[in-house]
Amino acid sequence: MFDLAFNNLNEILAMDGHGVYVWSVYSIAISIIVASFLIAKNKIKGVKRKIKIKNAPS
Amino acid sequence: MFRFLKIESFKLFYKLKSWLGPMLIMILVLTAFPLSIDISQFDLEKFYFSIIVVSLLMTSFLATEGMFEEDFEDGSLEQEFLVEQDFYKIVLSKIFVYVCFIGVPIAFIGAIFSFANGVAIGSFMNVFFLLSLSNLLLFNLFAFGNALSINKGAMLGVITTLPLALPVIILLGTAIRSIQYEDGFLEISSLMIGVGFLISAIMPLIISTALKTHID
Amino acid sequence: MISAFIHKFSSPKSFVKITKTLYPFLIFIGLSMLIVGWVWGLLFAPQDAVQGNSYRIIFLHVPAVIYAELIYFFMALCALMHLVWRVKLAAYLIKSAAPIGAMITFIGLFSGSVWGIPTWGTWWQWDARITSTLILFIMYLGILTLHGSFSNLEKSDRLMSILVVIGVVNIPIIKKSVDWWSTLHQPASISVSGGSSIDPSMLYPLLISIIGLGFTLISLGILSSRSYILGREKNKKWVSEYV
Repeated sequence: MFDLAFNNLNEILAMDGHGVYVWSVYSIAISIIVASFLIAKNKIKGVKRKIKIKNAPS
Repeated sequence: MFRFLKIESFKLFYKLKSWLGPMLIMILVLTAFPLSIDISQFDLEKFYFSIIVVSLLMTSFLATEGMFEEDFEDGSLEQEFLVEQDFYKIVLSKIFVYVCFIGVPIAFIGAIFSFANGVAIGSFMNVFFLLSLSNLLLFNLFAFGNALSINKGAMLGVITTLPLALPVIILLGTAIRSIQYEDGFLEISSLMIGVGFLISAIMPLIISTALKTHID
Repeated sequence: MISAFIHKFSSPKSFVKITKTLYPFLIFIGLSMLIVGWVWGLLFAPQDAVQGNSYRIIFLHVPAVIYAELIYFFMALCALMHLVWRVKLAAYLIKSAAPIGAMITFIGLFSGSVWGIPTWGTWWQWDARITSTLILFIMYLGILTLHGSFSNLEKSDRLMSILVVIGVVNIPIIKKSVDWWSTLHQPASISVSGGSSIDPSMLYPLLISIIGLGFTLISLGILSSRSYILGREKNKKWVSEYV
């Protein structure tokens, strides 16, 4: 069950000609998910900064 | 109830744009389609119906545009709420009037055009009946969209309710094919009547909930 | 009694605090399971006899479409809570879940159509599942547009909840109607589910990646709901203390 399905790196990348589809899908999906995490973190930062500015004793 | 029907009919009658406009657009779209694509009469018979269905969809969301907008803006909706405490009756009569004065004529135009494009004259009544029924369903759904978007333009209402209208389109497509192949028309039309009754009873309830949200 | 219970545990303040402590565990479990599932699926799982290596998209596609629908059902549950008991937190959760739902639905659609190119020879098919997923995507965007177009946020919360509840009734109807319509007039086309008896060596990584993606999406939801809640309640006292 835990044998590698491929022999070397080139085979992994090519995947019998299906590599283009598989790797493009995974890379795009991963980048979308990572980007949404970054956007969410950035938003929290922005909101916190706004609230701090608002509450700052002037 | 009867009072509402009378008021709504008068209101609609004096808004020439909102009842004449959709009919003209229906005719124009149905004329424009054969002009835009170079096909023979024979090919046209096969898929003219899909054009009728799609233009029915388009005209019905144009027809319901601003259904509640004017009442909302001039405050008569609020006044009605103070008197009746509920919008069920007024919404029900509004949709009924719209279907009678806009939906049924549009269905009639669609039926005439389908007859002109090679459907046997015997099934004219069937087509007319089906198109009116689906107009009843579509008007209910798009009225919901208009109640949601009230004064933010028809586009918002369409975006939110067009996905809900797709089953109606699928149902209508199946029903029309059943006319073409003369198979199972009775079952499908009775299903549509049932769904029509159900939706036109429930939808005003949902619409009045949405309208209440706008008022308070 | 129920409403008292719900109101006690649904204050935005305690939600933000509880999820903040949970977040590190959830993101750790989610990402590690996702990595294990995908590495196992991509590199170790045996090649499919029929589809070759292109089937490896399944480890992304199936979890994505599962969560595309689950998130909508979650939103519908929240919408009911918002409409019946007027729970504010429920509306905040709907608003922050909708973009995530749209994102994961897009990933599901995209991976499905790319998968379709080598296996079906076409990237689109008017099949019941594909069509209903596309409509789901449009519904997510419609919900977001509706919420964004009113200046009174309380009002748009309620309208959005109404729309979400109506929409959840519609999902099975769309699915059934397309199914009924297409089976009536065209021969049974390709079923997306593939083989009914899936081999354990493919099933385990699939299950692991499903659970992993679930935890990852929950932690993403925690992040986006935190920013939304802080933004909405910025005039409350607890927010200034929290920041």
